Amino acid sequence: MTTSQAIPGARFVDPKILSRIGNLELMARSVVEGFINGLHRAPFFGASIDFAEHRGYVAGDDIRRVDWRLYARTDRYYVKQYEADTNTNLMVLFDVSKSMSFGSRGIPKLEYASFVAACLGYLAQRQRDRVGIITFDKEIVDHVPPSAKHFNVMLQTLDRAKAQRAGHLVEPLTRMAEFFKRRSIIVVISDLYEEPDAILEAMKPLKFLGNDLIVFHVLDPAELQFDYDDASSFEDLESGEQIPVVPQSLAEEYRALIKSHIDALTTKFSEHRIDYTMLNTSEPLDRALFGYLSSRERFMRVR
Amino acid sequence: MSFLTPLFFAGLAAIAVPVLVHLIQRERKRVVEFPSLMFVRRIPYQSVRRRRIRHWALLLMRAAAIALIVAAFARPFLPQAASATAAAAGAREIVIVLDQSASMGYGDHFAKAQDAARSVVRGMTNADRATLVLFAKNAEENMRATPDRARLEGAINAAKVTAGATRYGPAIKLAESILARSSVTRREAVLISDFQKTGWSGSEEAKFPEGMTLRTVSVASEGTTNLSVPSIQFARAAFSGQERITVTAGLSNKGDAAVKDIPVTLEVDGHEIESQKATVQPHASGSVTFTQFTLAGPNVRGVIRAGTDPLPADNAFHFVLTPSEPVSVLVVDNGAADGSLFISKALAIGTTPTFQVETTTPGRVSPASFDKRSVVVLNDTTFPPAGGAGALKQYVQRGGGLLVVMGDHTTWPTGETELLPGKIGAAVNRMSGRSGSLGFLDYSHPVFEVFKAPRSGDFSAAHFFEYRALEPLPTDRVLARYDDGAVAAVERKIGAGRIIAWTSTLDDTWTDVAVKPVFLPLVHQLVRYLARYEQTASWMTVGQVLDLNARARGRERIVVTPSGERVAQAAAGQNVAGLVELNEQGIYELRTAGAANGRPDSVAVNLDPVESDLAPLDPSELVASVTGHAVPVTGALAATQEMTREEVERRQGLWWYLLLAGLLLLAAETVIANRLSRNEKFL
Repeated sequence: MTTSQAIPGARFVDPKILSRIGNLELMARSVVEGFINGLHRAPFFGASIDFAEHRGYVAGDDIRRVDWRLYARTDRYYVKQYEADTNTNLMVLFDVSKSMSFGSRGIPKLEYASFVAACLGYLAQRQRDRVGIITFDKEIVDHVPPSAKHFNVMLQTLDRAKAQRAGHLVEPLTRMAEFFKRRSIIVVISDLYEEPDAILEAMKPLKFLGNDLIVFHVLDPAELQFDYDDASSFEDLESGEQIPVVPQSLAEEYRALIKSHIDALTTKFSEHRIDYTMLNTSEPLDRALFGYLSSRERFMRVR
Repeated sequence: MSFLTPLFFAGLAAIAVPVLVHLIQRERKRVVEFPSLMFVRRIPYQSVRRRRIRHWALLLMRAAAIALIVAAFARPFLPQAASATAAAAGAREIVIVLDQSASMGYGDHFAKAQDAARSVVRGMTNADRATLVLFAKNAEENMRATPDRARLEGAINAAKVTAGATRYGPAIKLAESILARSSVTRREAVLISDFQKTGWSGSEEAKFPEGMTLRTVSVASEGTTNLSVPSIQFARAAFSGQERITVTAGLSNKGDAAVKDIPVTLEVDGHEIESQKATVQPHASGSVTFTQFTLAGPNVRGVIRAGTDPLPADNAFHFVLTPSEPVSVLVVDNGAADGSLFISKALAIGTTPTFQVETTTPGRVSPASFDKRSVVVLNDTTFPPAGGAGALKQYVQRGGGLLVVMGDHTTWPTGETELLPGKIGAAVNRMSGRSGSLGFLDYSHPVFEVFKAPRSGDFSAAHFFEYRALEPLPTDRVLARYDDGAVAAVERKIGAGRIIAWTSTLDDTWTDVAVKPVFLPLVHQLVRYLARYEQTASWMTVGQVLDLNARARGRERIVVTPSGERVAQAAAGQNVAGLVELNEQGIYELRTAGAANGRPDSVAVNLDPVESDLAPLDPSELVASVTGHAVPVTGALAATQEMTREEVERRQGLWWYLLLAGLLLLAAETVIANRLSRNEKFL
């Protein structure tokens, strides 16, 4: 179960207040800037002008790169080498299946997920990363290839995303694996209503080419707590199936089941080095950003 | 089980209420949208079908509770006690009621009926007793209650079809009285018949009390064919001193198919006179008229035969003809020319009977003139001297008829006032102004009875210009009055004779009634009544009783039935003898003991025409009428009227248990429903 972890200096913003902003970019900037300002000396910010090592001069090297100070000390020509360009692709795989439209008391899961995606996009764009997005339900709905200029396109795509159809993870994710030619950070935002094994099987192809995979599991508090009072007929948003339910009698078992589902996902994803974060739509967005940044740091280390 | 207030069963409609509530609740329930029921579906729960079955059980409990409460309000009671069940295994008292009427002679109906009766006998146990009742128009106890099956079968075998008509009433009453005498609790009557509709009017007061059952065995056939001769008519004509008869035979086809070209034969004294072909459509009637034949003498026997069919008895019709004897009338008038013209002309026209009229004057009348006269008419004349000194009175007392027609010349001696119904007065003249007319007629009197029906004779058209005043005694019967209330006709009876006084003339002097259409029938009716004329019946019907006293007095008679059986009848006046019931179809001969050989007195007897109508009755209708139940009630019932009040109350106390059971069921339902809903994860 996820709870809000206090990150020093972070300005937590209630998603409900964010939802009033209306402008995704403004919203994303508000969140990300606040978040960054709070992180003093963020260890994760690498710079592309940082020095890496020296190597011996070879004919043809640009003499401007020769480290003259070292020549003065050692009388040998060394060329300074700097950190490589760390620009990368951020690809958001965004679930727009009908179940994502659910929202019991605040904003719908789809909107919350949009915030997360927008914030991640903004963050990436600030770092000169290329951003792209693929929305899907039971098949691919929109595909925005990763590009440094595609942040706005991504925001527009998120803006018009509507949860209309039933969703399925396996087929669209398998197809998407074909799109990734470069190493990317792949962020999957979904409510993951599939069997954990099936989800893992669908995610595996995304891990090829050394992609880094971050999974955001978006759930409404009602889905976690099942705190309904009246006996009612529950209708599955995607299949339309109705089951008459007495919630008081059922809630305990339901909570146990959803917990075991989350636990299973956590275990399996960690086994496969997939970063998994469960997001409760009643909680602030910082967890999502934190997850992303920690993942990026790991990505840089691995290089 | 019966119910005291069955109307309460309308409350059973309340059973629909839980069903409706259930359905309405189902329709109204809230629907909550949920992203995915993936986990909800995984929770172990009863399947939808099982859940529904469990709810149906609850529903059934509720419905049963309502039904029990409604049944309690309907106040059930047990009409039959435990004694009834105990009696069901006991001995039976059986009455076999076997129809032997003439219609049972149709085809093999009677054989089938005998078979049915025998099968009832064979179904008896050793403890059972049976009585055989044979019936047609009347019922007789042929074999008294006996457990001896061989004797019963013998009696059934010996039974024969009679000529009687069918009547179920007497048979059922007899069966009821036999069963009522029995002390056995299981009492039943078995009625075996062809169930002719004509035998049951529905108004018979034959009822079986509770505890007696009536079982029916019908031997009727579908699609019967039956041609019958229900009646004949005679037209008499006088010809050279002899009577000639024209016979018209009626034919009736009660079957569903037409009968074509069947021979219809007239036989007289055993000789075939004529045969004709006739065709009668289904359910229709026809007639055949034969050529005249001369009636040679008295007691001529005849028979009409029409074709053959499964019921031959009604294809023959017997009759006996005797030349009619004329009514002798002595008309005494004042001697004026054509003084009795109207009366004598009117009487000359009669055929049934013919009138033999002799006209004379008072001076010529002698006491012997009254001998062998049926009627004496004093037509506007003085009292005949020979009638004095009681001669005319004796004639009347012996049975003679006297008609006094008053006019100018009418006088009456004071010594004979007994012979005149009233005190004669002066003539009343109605010439001035409006003439008189008849204002009152006693249509209940045989003389005027024929004029009773509308358009059967208009007396108001006759004018009376003059009449003699007459003051009748209170004992005299006024038959007619004028419009002013004066007496027009009055009757007095002396001894066996009858006297009628007519206060105006019967010619055209004082009245014009003689030229009105009513004159002829009036004169005929007056003379027939005074002469006590009755037409001799040419035939009688089976079941009628022949009064020998009317035919021969004081002599011993021997009656020979059509089957040849001789029945000696003692002289009339001794005991009740003199009455013979006519049970057979054909010619009965009445012979006088010691009489000279000659043509014996004969009586033709025919079947009752209704017996030819074989249309069957629904036996259950008869059973319902007799027992009050449409179907036979099995098992003997104890007499409910003998039950004590406590027993009656105990049998009606079932409602307490039903109400209690209903309430307990409701309580149980509440507990179960609460428990179920508490444990329920799904609706």
